[in-house]
Amino acid sequence: MEVLPTCMDVEHSRVYIDQLYSNDSQKCFQAVSELKFAVIGSVREKGSIIEQGVVVRLLQILRAPELDILLKTEVATVLNSLAKGLPEHAAALVQAGLLPVLWEQLESCPSGGSGSAYTQMLLCCLRSIYRQGCAPPPPAWDQKLLSSLIQHGYHPPSNQECVANILAHACKTNEQQQQLVDAGGADLVACLLCSPVSRVQLPALHCLTAMCFNNERVSSIIATKSYGGKAVPDLLVGLMARDRPRDMQLAAATALTFLHRAGALSADDPRIIYKTLQCLVRMCRRDREVWERVEAANTLAYLTEVSTDLQRTAAMTDHLIHTMNDYLKDTTPPNASVPQGISVSPVSCRQYDNPSTWPELMVGAALKVYASLGANDEDIRQRVIKTDVLMNTIVTSLSAASPPVQLAAVRCLHSLSRSVHTLRTTLQDHVVWRPLMTVLKTSNNEELVTVSSSTLCNLLLEFSPSKEQILDQGAVEFLCGLTRRPHPGLRLNAVWALMNMAFQAEHRVKVSILHHLGTDQIFRLLSDTDVHILMKTLGLLRNLLSTKGHIDQIMQCHGKEIMQAIILILEGEHSAEVKEQALCILANIADGDIAKSAIMSNEDVLKKLMNYMVIPNVKLQIAATFCISNLIWNVEEGAAERQNKLREMGVYKLLQNLMTTTDTGLFDKVKTALQQFH
Amino acid sequence: MDSDISEMSLGQEFMRTNVDSDTDQSGTNEGVKAMETSEWLEETNKMHIHRADMNKLIMNYLVMEGFKEAAEKFSIEANIKPPMDLDQLDERIRIRTAIQNGQFQEAMRMVTALHPEILDDNSQLYFHLQQQVLIELIREGRVEEAVVYAQDHLAERGQRDPSILNELERTLALLAFDQPDTSPFGDLLHPSHRQKVASELNAAILRAQNQEETTPLLAELLKLLLWAQDELNKKKVQYPYMTDLIKGQIEERK
Repeated sequence: MEVLPTCMDVEHSRVYIDQLYSNDSQKCFQAVSELKFAVIGSVREKGSIIEQGVVVRLLQILRAPELDILLKTEVATVLNSLAKGLPEHAAALVQAGLLPVLWEQLESCPSGGSGSAYTQMLLCCLRSIYRQGCAPPPPAWDQKLLSSLIQHGYHPPSNQECVANILAHACKTNEQQQQLVDAGGADLVACLLCSPVSRVQLPALHCLTAMCFNNERVSSIIATKSYGGKAVPDLLVGLMARDRPRDMQLAAATALTFLHRAGALSADDPRIIYKTLQCLVRMCRRDREVWERVEAANTLAYLTEVSTDLQRTAAMTDHLIHTMNDYLKDTTPPNASVPQGISVSPVSCRQYDNPSTWPELMVGAALKVYASLGANDEDIRQRVIKTDVLMNTIVTSLSAASPPVQLAAVRCLHSLSRSVHTLRTTLQDHVVWRPLMTVLKTSNNEELVTVSSSTLCNLLLEFSPSKEQILDQGAVEFLCGLTRRPHPGLRLNAVWALMNMAFQAEHRVKVSILHHLGTDQIFRLLSDTDVHILMKTLGLLRNLLSTKGHIDQIMQCHGKEIMQAIILILEGEHSAEVKEQALCILANIADGDIAKSAIMSNEDVLKKLMNYMVIPNVKLQIAATFCISNLIWNVEEGAAERQNKLREMGVYKLLQNLMTTTDTGLFDKVKTALQQFH
Repeated sequence: MDSDISEMSLGQEFMRTNVDSDTDQSGTNEGVKAMETSEWLEETNKMHIHRADMNKLIMNYLVMEGFKEAAEKFSIEANIKPPMDLDQLDERIRIRTAIQNGQFQEAMRMVTALHPEILDDNSQLYFHLQQQVLIELIREGRVEEAVVYAQDHLAERGQRDPSILNELERTLALLAFDQPDTSPFGDLLHPSHRQKVASELNAAILRAQNQEETTPLLAELLKLLLWAQDELNKKKVQYPYMTDLIKGQIEERK
């Protein structure tokens, strides 16, 4: 018959807590032992102990150099257990200053004998804190500390597991990734991947993933590392095999995905296209657990985001498109939870805490996969769009869901909007532009607004039936406002959208654009550091200045500023592509009846045109010649005077010289121009 | 020699290696006859298992389950090296002995002293151990202590973690019966329940010792057999079916 401590407990615990403060090391040790038995396993006790302020005393013991190492080990055991409690317990420990003490102790710890047990416990403690995700990330690691940590990571397995976990959770910035690799982290990880103990391999995989993410240099280094004669990517393929635990397969697949996206492995590498992709698709199946399906789908979306080959392969692997549809309809059973012992990646482990969010996670993941699959290939897009609940899900998610799911919905919509057919049909049937405009006007999330504006761009293409309705919603004013935003992606999309809007638009639309944008803003955009924005602004001008009547009216109001802008571009340091656009605008202006005079009266511009006709760049020559051609066009009023003036300046002679050109395009333009001359 | 045999649950369980459910197979309803029983047995007898392999399986079982003396003797008699230093079994043996004597609190203290992370990392196991403490108290009729223990240690856990509530309720329900072992929840009092917890704890300790396998390979083999039979049954195949694993009795499946 076992005797149990009963109501005596409260008194009993008070006694041993008091004894913690005793100077008698024997009593103190006993008290710490009792404390250990009390807190291990019990969340309530952990909380209670922390509340009683005992942590301070425990840290004191660790820091005291004269105290026995066995006592310190016991204290570290208690702290480790406290760190494994609720996140707020770990946070309280960090606040009390636990981390610097642990690092300091790790450095000064003697090696061998009881020192190694102490080291082990210190590492366990660090690992438990980092796993809770509440350790503040340092901007950069202390180099010496990092090196010694890595040294500890080679032996024994318990230390290996701890070090790998610490690095996996702590490595968050580019700089840290570099530091880790430079300190020998890649070699350590390669070694750990080959450990016979799966408890070591899994955190090693997470560590690898954390190191490679979005880092070209680090990824290329890691991809060439090897251990035991096998290269790291091959080791990863081994860990992705079907007889491995699910969380390990997923972690290995993620590592390979990140290596590919960072450029270390190409899309046609068989390990990527024939192994990683299949593993991820397999894990999306209906009979798998929710956390697995979500993680796999998210990783798959990232894997196939860019390469058309991967998109095509994925789209025909194992009914993937159909499987994703299941995600959109899934419901989570009430007693769901992530099985114990499963180790989800450090980045996403917390998001599965609340099962009621799982359906939304599923929807987000599926939308991302669809967004990636449909990014480039029209066939795939058409198949995706046939998914029965997709459009409704997108529309509801745009308005009602949390920001990450909204973003996924917009990305999906963006991919679909790259299809002309879809623009004309499905995207008209489901009124997507309305919630999209709401998102644009109300969201503070820069990424969300950028992708939304990009989508809006597509919806504003000439053949899109939504165009008129969007205009009615004050889109012009809104987009002009967006051109003033600091984020270059947003500015670009806004100008691009305006450019699309102006294409073959009615006069009132063009007037509206010029009115809301203002010539000042146009100048600013033409001086933008981002050349793409510049190009699209020029494209906007070009679209505005099309159709004779419009050209004349616009030049009448804004002619002076527009000419100034064009001269600015022609005189500035710009690529040939940019100058070509400017010349095309001039050519359009030259098409206007009244507007022609803006050019003819400007000798400087005429001289520039003549220069461009002889510059050794065919495209620029063609553009300049075309402009001249418009100026002298026979049919129009005043053609004779213009021809005389230009002839006097030497244009006729120039054209004659150009007849010797070998370029057929230029030849045609020159011939046409010459034919106009009387 | 220990008379207690750890009971394996003979229910449907999947193999340790992952097998994907095949979604595309359409089974015929008429059922297929594999072959005659005599032919089947003849084919089976042609299978040759090496003695050395059998010995390894037995050694694995003994070591996993903590039968140290038996393992030492077997190692000599069968001339086979044990897979690890047998002194490492001592701690698991001590803990299992404590459990077999119903001393769960003692067992928990021993585990904590040796592997302080186990009970924090395996909250299900911890709950089962605590549940077992409760069961032992109820078994001995120490009703008041049982209620206090439940209040002190298990109530708060139940609040945080709804998945254990069901089990907790079943356990406490035993208190309502004069003769709990005849109650609908009497299975909790059965020695097999103790064994389940003992095995769970044993597996956790093996994991903490960085062992990759935590259940005896013999158990895995039997599970494989059961699984294979189950799959054949699903496809309505007629074959000689092993009805009794212990006796190896085979019957024609109708």
